Amino acid sequence: SVCKFISYSVGVHKMRDKLRKWREDNHRNSEQIVDVGEELINEHASKLGDDIWIIYEQVMIAALDCSRDDLAWTCLQELKRQFPGSQRVKRLAGMRLEALEKYEDASKQYDSILQDDPTNTAARKRKISILKAQGKSAEAIRELNEYLEQFVGDQEAWHELSELYINEHDYGKAAFCLEELMMTNPHNHLYCEQYAEVKYTQGGLENLELSRKYFAQALKLNNRNMRALFGLYMSASHIAACPKVNATVKKANVKYAAWATNQINRAYQLAGRGTKENKCSVKAVEEMLESMQITMS
Amino acid sequence: MGEVELSCLAYVKMYLHACLFPRCSVNGLLLSSSPAGGAVCVTDCVPLLHTHLPLAPITQLALTQVDVWCAQTQQRIVGYYQANACVSDSSPTPCALKIADKIAEQCNNAVLLMIDGGKMSPDYRVPPIVMYERKDTRWTLKDKHTIMLRQWEETRDIASQLLDSGDHSLLVDFDSHLDDITRDWTNQKLNAKIAELASPANGNV
Repeated sequence: SVCKFISYSVGVHKMRDKLRKWREDNHRNSEQIVDVGEELINEHASKLGDDIWIIYEQVMIAALDCSRDDLAWTCLQELKRQFPGSQRVKRLAGMRLEALEKYEDASKQYDSILQDDPTNTAARKRKISILKAQGKSAEAIRELNEYLEQFVGDQEAWHELSELYINEHDYGKAAFCLEELMMTNPHNHLYCEQYAEVKYTQGGLENLELSRKYFAQALKLNNRNMRALFGLYMSASHIAACPKVNATVKKANVKYAAWATNQINRAYQLAGRGTKENKCSVKAVEEMLESMQITMS
Repeated sequence: MGEVELSCLAYVKMYLHACLFPRCSVNGLLLSSSPAGGAVCVTDCVPLLHTHLPLAPITQLALTQVDVWCAQTQQRIVGYYQANACVSDSSPTPCALKIADKIAEQCNNAVLLMIDGGKMSPDYRVPPIVMYERKDTRWTLKDKHTIMLRQWEETRDIASQLLDSGDHSLLVDFDSHLDDITRDWTNQKLNAKIAELASPANGNV
């Protein structure tokens, strides 16, 4: 595997830096983390100083993700020994129980953390994750709503809730969550774009116009967001084709759609150069744009 | 209703798609290069999404683009597949039914295929799939005996091999294509690899 190559030819410091970067970026590339982390732990533990503890935590979580209970167990024992009675380690023990699908035991573990510390958000969120894993979406949604009443600034929780609502096809409530996120993160193009997608899905002229506005906003924040570009193209095209709109609105949306078409074509021309690999997808887009132009005029 | 044949290529790519995104629900389209009428031969598939399956814009976009590509390559969309993130429940979600309905409008013996996540381990003797067909207006479970997967063991081994070698990461779904449009959602590269692995085993995949 590619990772083994990295391990042999790169020093301990570089491996440690990689792990740190993945931690900071909150990457869930668990197989890679296990590959690099396991070697560091097994062969270079003495050179890691105090970093070893956070590395044990990171590797343990990654190991659980890859069904490497052996490795997860080793990390957990080291952490238990070093930090006896720690809530943070207790939570990790709970996560291991979750990975083993021992949900009742895991829940009890989190309950005991919450008994000592009722404000422990991590334990509360793990309990909600258990509901999700068991397919109990309605309960997960209810618990998460209660959580957010108390911890209204928790971005991760708002986003999780929006995802749960989308899966339940409750687009109105998903939109509300995304509105919260956009308010507190006005420069995040992904939230704008997701909001636009939800509005588009809700349908109807008013929602389509809103979706077009937010696709455009996402593009303003990041002009390489292809979903936003295609979204702008599609929402503007649909509005222009709608019999209810007046001539001015139609004209404006035809313009937006034409602009988007141009940008899409340029992006694909650029992408199509060099590799012959994606010729098929480039051709498909070209033809699609042509055919939709015809239906619009 | 009728018989459905699932090619090695289609199965392997669907399977790898589910493996590539183990924490997400994934979906895709089933294609046929055979003419309409008689048994449905699923000869290929296009992996579509691993995020926000119920949302409309990207799904519509993907359906349109795949439609265009099919016209260019003499293929037809004959079905839809999905693998749910929650492995304990492999029943079709409302969005699966919706998309399958749309496909059935154009293809009257369309199939809806659910991958059963709980049965995907390499030592499973039977393909981890459940198929539905449209009877009147409802999607009903298909009789297992009308579903054919030629050379199942070779197919299963090819999928395992690609997983072990890490080559499953070559698979590009429509979502990944939108993240980086230089990546090819028709998966020519992966198709070639699968064909390579399939050729010594049998002459007709």
